[in-house]
Amino acid sequence: MKNRLLATAAAGLLLASLASCGSPDSTVRSTAPTFRAPIPAGVQDPASAAPGGTDSSDGSCDPRASLRPPATLPAPGQMPAGSTMADIVKHGHLTVGVDQNTYLFGYRDAVSGQIVGFDIDIAKRIAQAIFGDANPNHLQLVAITSAQRIPFVQQGQVDIVADSMTINCERLQQVEFSTDYFDAGQKILVTKGSPYHTIGDLGGKKVCAAAGTTSIVTIATEPSHPIPVSVSDWTDCLVMLQQGQVQAVSTDDNILAGLAKQDPNTEVVGPRFTDEPHGLAIKKSDTDFVRFVNGVLDRMRTDGTWAQLYDHWLGGPAPTPPASKYSD
Amino acid sequence: MALLSPPATAPTRAPARTGSPLATRLTARTSSTPGRLTVLMVVLAALAIAAGLAAVIGVVQRSSHVHSVIDRTGPLTVDAQELYRSLSDADAIAANAFLSNGQEPAALRTRYDNDIAAASAALTSATAADPGQPAVQEISAQLPVYAGLVETARTYNRLNLPVGAAYLREASALMRDQLLTAAKRLYDAETTRFDSDADAAAGFPWLAIALSVLALAGLGYAQVTLTRRTNRLFNLGLVGATAMGLAALIWLGSSWLGARGELASAQRDGSAQEQVLARARIDALQARADEALTLVARGNGASFDTDYGTMLTDLVGKNGDSGLLHQAGAAATDPTVRTAVNAAISSAKDWRTTHQKADDANKNSEYTRAVTLTIGDDPASSASSFNHLDQQLAAGIAATSATLDRHARSAAGALAAAPIGLAVLTVLLLVGMVAGLQQRIAEYR
Repeated sequence: MKNRLLATAAAGLLLASLASCGSPDSTVRSTAPTFRAPIPAGVQDPASAAPGGTDSSDGSCDPRASLRPPATLPAPGQMPAGSTMADIVKHGHLTVGVDQNTYLFGYRDAVSGQIVGFDIDIAKRIAQAIFGDANPNHLQLVAITSAQRIPFVQQGQVDIVADSMTINCERLQQVEFSTDYFDAGQKILVTKGSPYHTIGDLGGKKVCAAAGTTSIVTIATEPSHPIPVSVSDWTDCLVMLQQGQVQAVSTDDNILAGLAKQDPNTEVVGPRFTDEPHGLAIKKSDTDFVRFVNGVLDRMRTDGTWAQLYDHWLGGPAPTPPASKYSD
Repeated sequence: MALLSPPATAPTRAPARTGSPLATRLTARTSSTPGRLTVLMVVLAALAIAAGLAAVIGVVQRSSHVHSVIDRTGPLTVDAQELYRSLSDADAIAANAFLSNGQEPAALRTRYDNDIAAASAALTSATAADPGQPAVQEISAQLPVYAGLVETARTYNRLNLPVGAAYLREASALMRDQLLTAAKRLYDAETTRFDSDADAAAGFPWLAIALSVLALAGLGYAQVTLTRRTNRLFNLGLVGATAMGLAALIWLGSSWLGARGELASAQRDGSAQEQVLARARIDALQARADEALTLVARGNGASFDTDYGTMLTDLVGKNGDSGLLHQAGAAATDPTVRTAVNAAISSAKDWRTTHQKADDANKNSEYTRAVTLTIGDDPASSASSFNHLDQQLAAGIAATSATLDRHARSAAGALAAAPIGLAVLTVLLLVGMVAGLQQRIAEYR
């Protein structure tokens, strides 16, 4: 009797153990992850303090004064032996550091795939003056970020930088500049109908500029204390403004105009609060090249090429080009 | 066992001690032969039941691990791999499309759309199989955001506005920093789980074997004792029980051996090779995206180019004679896989050669030629070599995956009938043992 009981119990246990193995594990509660807004690569928010360049008006130098060109420029295609230009001819191309994200000044045309703009056309004229023809292979464009401009010139990865680059005394310690070929000044770009009209209204608000520019330093040192947010390229600022991640973009008005043109819901507002002369950056030791470039720029000012490029890219009528000024 | 003392020293009646009532009763029971036999029967029954339970539960658990390999972790590993592949391919294609001037080619558009569809499908099955996985949740949350950014980039690109490129870069950063790292985490988690499932399924059934051996020893002991007492050579019930016990032990052992062998083959010829090939494919995809992004960055893509070099070295080694692909070739046991891997190696070498040409062209200010070499549909272009490489790796992965599945199914087959069989044998053992001993006990009444 007892044994039968035992056997029944054993069979029951066996069955129970078989059944228990098949049960599914408890379902796990899934919690909805909170949305994290995507950010452009290389954003610094807030930007770490003051990379490269203080105010251009600190009086320690005259940023607009450059080296005087020779009385007569060497004829195209006949560069004096041993000159920097002769080296460039030997390499077969002028290597220019440019931006491919500054609308109207240096940007990639999506239809042709070429980098085009006002700065690019200036560089083309310099290549033409060296090589004597318009062969596109004589111009090599290297897209760089604002922060890379000075190191690329210093290390010789590019012969010259044409990228809306502000001339100031601190930068003049590191590289040489041509004469001023474009006058700009810092303003702000905001969404239309926003309560911000000047940089003074942006205290405690996020304001975007590219890393390694004078603009980001100006934002960081503004008395109203906006929060500087730095990015790699200017268009990244427009993306962040459109996505509501910054309240304003602040830099040279010519760059802002290019951004505003890409989004009719934004506008450039307020007065210029800095003075930004733009120059072409060249290695410090290549003084002969600086003089040559200044000569080419001078010719462009007087023969109407400058005004023609201005009309073409920025819409006329062109103002008087910035006057050339020489230190010696 | 000590309860049953040999007959020579048997009836030494224990002196009346002041013990617990239970102890007294036990002493009273074990003092007589039928009492001792009854106790022996109970002990043997307990041992047999314990052994049977341990064997059945163990087999059922191992079988469930094998089924988990077949139905869950195996497919999930494939899903995780497919998810990574489709996401990474989408990233590379979006960058390629950006490089083509004007309207993006229809083929690239279709491929991008297919990648997103494949990623969503893989994500859906990964979610179904593992709903709590944080990596899956993260990808589910960010994939629509990614696709939205790419569409915005496209729209601006069509309007010929450079902010389109900024949206593309933001999308690519999202893909690389969040989506692909999450997909990699998912893949790693699933491979680890796969390996642990396979290991658990192949584990030696220590407890069941030990208990079975003990039960058989008990049966043997009972038979020896009975033979000595009764001078009868065989007790039919106990002999039958012993036979059942031996059969159960053999079944248990052989099912374990069979499953273990199949699982070892599944890992060696299947998952281990598949994992190497999957890593190779991921490297190739990343290198492809690097290549396109180098050109998108236009002269400013040194970091992408360095990464391309690292990926290719990882793939085929510095001189084309080491790396993951050679590892996969050496491990290959299936001729199909070996052929695929060899073809993949030669494609990877061609790719590196073309890439070098494109890189030279790019550095030599022949940007358009560099782009053509990279994304053109010439059979010698980077795009063609990469596509061929990817197809070969896909073929190798499919073959190893099929091998894995086949062996895992054989392992499941080796275990399939064991739970029922072992339970039946245990019950028969109990019946035989009880019948055999009951017969003897009855003789004393």
